[in-house]
Amino acid sequence: MAALQLLVNGVALGAAYALVALGFVLVLNATSAVNFAQGDLVMAGGLLAAALAPLIPLPGIVLLPVVLVLMAALGLLLALAAYLPLRRRPPVSVFISTIAVGIILQNGAAILFGPEPRAAPPLFGDDTLHIAGLAVPEQSLAIVAVAALLIGAQQWVFARTQLGRRLRATAQDPEMARACGVPVTAMILVTFAIGTACAGAAGLLLANRYFVTPTSGGDLILKAYIAVTVGGWGSVPGAVAGALLIALFEVGVSSVLSYPMALGALYLTLLAVLVLRPQGLFGEAVRRRG
Amino acid sequence: MSALLSIRGLSAGYGGASALDDVSLTLAAGETVALLGANGAGKSTLLKALLGLVPARGELRLDDVELGPLPTEARVRHGIGYVPEGRRVFPGMSVRDNLEVAGLPAARDRLLDVERVFALFPDLALKSAEHAWRLSGGQQQMLSLGRALMGRPRLLLLDEPSLGLSPKLADEVFAAVRHVAAAGTAVLLAEQSAARALAVAPRAILLRLGRVVGDGPVAALSEEAVREAFFGG
Repeated sequence: MAALQLLVNGVALGAAYALVALGFVLVLNATSAVNFAQGDLVMAGGLLAAALAPLIPLPGIVLLPVVLVLMAALGLLLALAAYLPLRRRPPVSVFISTIAVGIILQNGAAILFGPEPRAAPPLFGDDTLHIAGLAVPEQSLAIVAVAALLIGAQQWVFARTQLGRRLRATAQDPEMARACGVPVTAMILVTFAIGTACAGAAGLLLANRYFVTPTSGGDLILKAYIAVTVGGWGSVPGAVAGALLIALFEVGVSSVLSYPMALGALYLTLLAVLVLRPQGLFGEAVRRRG
Repeated sequence: MSALLSIRGLSAGYGGASALDDVSLTLAAGETVALLGANGAGKSTLLKALLGLVPARGELRLDDVELGPLPTEARVRHGIGYVPEGRRVFPGMSVRDNLEVAGLPAARDRLLDVERVFALFPDLALKSAEHAWRLSGGQQQMLSLGRALMGRPRLLLLDEPSLGLSPKLADEVFAAVRHVAAAGTAVLLAEQSAARALAVAPRAILLRLGRVVGDGPVAALSEEAVREAFFGG
């Protein structure tokens, strides 16, 4: 029973991590750029939700679309300021510029909100449901449901719509996508908007149970990076699976040992994966022929 | 015939190294022209310059539209289709998605055009749900050609379509090119295999070291001029 309880908690945490990793991998695929601001964007989404809550005194589920739209707009700004002007420069330029954006977000948040931890409102309610002997917080269920809905909607757009085809073509071969009539710059902007909206959603989901401070993004970007590396660099399902694995690992090991031990064990596992299976657990099956 | 494509004084290169020098030519609507020359003659660069994939100077017009200021995707929307050297299909996308991504905005038009491509290349219809990386080289070439047709181009640019294919597969690809040309699409065909190119094109342009050294009906081009374009004088 205890193991099941841990599984429920781990899946809820993993669902939020999956949104963080998903946003990270979408931008990575579309631009080949590692967006080191992703963790701070999660923090920004959490603080935004916490700041909006008194203005819109309604459940978090009503705030969610507002946070998604505002964070998507922030993603467009991020692309316009920190990616597009540097995209023909060596990759290290974008690497540095996203680190700079992260630091600006951290300090901006510290100035605006101060260092105290803040909480976002729950998506529906704060109650705990008792299902077959398990104590399941409503928020955990809501996190899983909302993350699944957002990830599912995104997968539907990518798989079934012309916008999704264009986004995938841009990710796979931007020059050839242009030669097929795809407006690649617009697709990159859309990708940043979606990736940042994902970060915002994760921020809102996490900031209710785990609180948010201006510096909480640093830990999250590491987890997104690990999820994408463990799952398979560039693989969207791999990133989601990697995020779930990290959360289950964190929750499971920390319940038996301690949180610092769990983190240590996580990094050891990452090293083992890198040595034994460098392409990640769900390494891209894509290869070129002919 | 009025000119569909008009190029005047086109120069292009890579990072300061010139690959095309003062190239001028015209192409009529529905005309098929072979672009012949040795490796490094500037054939691929000319096609890429038309699409805006390499920096270029000079005047480029498609009908009455000046292409120079337009980004690549806008040039494609004005009626240019491109089959690159090495095929460059989107490997992680299905055959159908590879086609649809290059299609017209209206879903109904796209579906019609996918069916047209499948009619031209029945092998692709059988593999429509497969990832493109799983296709053979010949099938990828057909997919690349089919993808270029999805935008209903008036001008089709083909870069070395027989490269790396067995003679039988190359024959199939060239049969498809003939079919496209017969349907009224102008074709500019860069090809190292002069015999194949001249079998489908009634006119040839010879390039050597980035310059046009011959242009005319195939029957009027001497064997010597063709040899010189490939091997030098």
